Amino acid sequence: MSVTPSRFSGLFEMHGKKLLFLTKNLIAGTQFGEQLISAQGTEYRVIDPTRSKLGAALMKGISQLGVKPGDVALYLGASYGYTPSFVSDLLGETGFVFCIDSAPRSTRDLVFLCEQRSNMAPVLADAFHPEAYASRVSGADFVYQDIAQRNQAEIFLKNCDLFLKPGGFAVLVVKARSIDVTKKPGVIFQQVRRQLGEHIAVVDYRVLDPFEKDHCLLVCKKKI
Amino acid sequence: MDPFTSIIGERSSKDIPAFLQQLKQAKHFPAFREKNIALTRQQIQEAVHEDDLIKQAVSCITELNRVINILMKRFREWYELYHPELSHAVRDHEKLLEFAFSRKKPKDSMGTALAETDVKAIQELAAHISQLFNLKKMQEAYLTSAMGKTCPNITALTGALLGAQLVLRAGSLKHLASLPASTIQLLGAEKALFRHLKSGAKSPKHGIIHEHPLVGQAPAGERGRMARILADKIAIAARVDYFKGAFIGEQLRKQVEGKR
Ligand SMILES: C[S@@+](CC[C@H](N)C(=O)[O-])C[C@H]1O[C@@H](n2cnc3c(N)ncnc32)[C@H](O)[C@@H]1O
Repeated sequence: MSVTPSRFSGLFEMHGKKLLFLTKNLIAGTQFGEQLISAQGTEYRVIDPTRSKLGAALMKGISQLGVKPGDVALYLGASYGYTPSFVSDLLGETGFVFCIDSAPRSTRDLVFLCEQRSNMAPVLADAFHPEAYASRVSGADFVYQDIAQRNQAEIFLKNCDLFLKPGGFAVLVVKARSIDVTKKPGVIFQQVRRQLGEHIAVVDYRVLDPFEKDHCLLVCKKKI
Repeated sequence: MDPFTSIIGERSSKDIPAFLQQLKQAKHFPAFREKNIALTRQQIQEAVHEDDLIKQAVSCITELNRVINILMKRFREWYELYHPELSHAVRDHEKLLEFAFSRKKPKDSMGTALAETDVKAIQELAAHISQLFNLKKMQEAYLTSAMGKTCPNITALTGALLGAQLVLRAGSLKHLASLPASTIQLLGAEKALFRHLKSGAKSPKHGIIHEHPLVGQAPAGERGRMARILADKIAIAARVDYFKGAFIGEQLRKQVEGKR
């Protein structure tokens, strides 16, 4: 079994009993009890698709993400930093990720993570009010959003407007339940897709079942 | 130029995206990182309020209850090998812990005669459970005083423990103060409410305020009405507490009692 580059720049894969996606560990050791794999003198971290919706989308065969090493990313809904840590690995020493979250509790753990990782910065702020943190971040090549909010699509568009470069890619994770518990998830996903489509091109789309129930992930590209 | 202090406000809003893109340079990253870490650390320090302490204390009391129950079950099982009659006769946990090794064991007990070291092991457990009971009393006293200071009006209506549970379920005093009475009435029944919305299961009527004696002890047909009246007054009390208004808790309580 060997670790080989995947078709996503900065992400690696390993074919054993199961397909695994991995990143090159930016620092040494495990940070979330995740599995480590050493190959050819390099330490890799395994992305658990049941803990990371990005990992789930990779397993579901997402075609592109539009992010590469050296990019600057804006991560909305960073929580304690599980998926952000893999984004940080992917971007590498020359890239950078701004991590926004509005909950002090999870951001406390995020701060410890950022203190360890030289390409991560924590920002405690409400993603619905990007003006309030515009002075704390730079523009971005890539935006990733995973927040369970009723108006998540509106928040996403606002942030893409302000921070994403023209032609840049952005990923939105949609949790159907936080938009409307009475509607079928599929109906909500189509509704969000249409709403986004008026402002930004939706280039791919995956439902995250069975890794994550009633969630979908959309990959978008900002118009030039 | 220090990217962090650059004054966004002076730019017209359509220039900001391009300006932010210009800041996207490796030489700025260390400053962005250090200042955001420092600022976020400070924000986190300032984000702790009195209701956060209340939430921890009431959660701790709930957990102590669970732990004490688990260990008490174990203690009785274990002790009954030695002296089942006393455990059978003394149903009150704290009393049993108090008497378990000070009362003489009758000669004709069903229990086995155990070696001193075997008894010692059971005794150690009893001593530690007693301490957990003491800890729980201390935490309850602390909760009562903290609730009295932060939520005097809610406390007058519901008592410290139930009031604190409402704050916990709402997430914060601020959020509790923003909730309509109809939602307060259902706090603690979120799962049933979700089932109801999703699959049309029957709508829940019982939140944790049903633990209040005025609701719980009302005749079955009256409970819904009492819960509504109580929730109405809690909504008012929460707002007064959040905005640190005057004490009207006694009045509110009398109004609820008057509707019995
Ligand atoms: C599902 S978690 C994100 C998990 C994370 N993306 C991962 O995979 O490791 C959602 C996060 O969004 C945050 N959040 C919710 N509303 C927000 C808002 N308006 N602004 C910023 N963060 C928000 C929550 O605090 C929570 O930490």
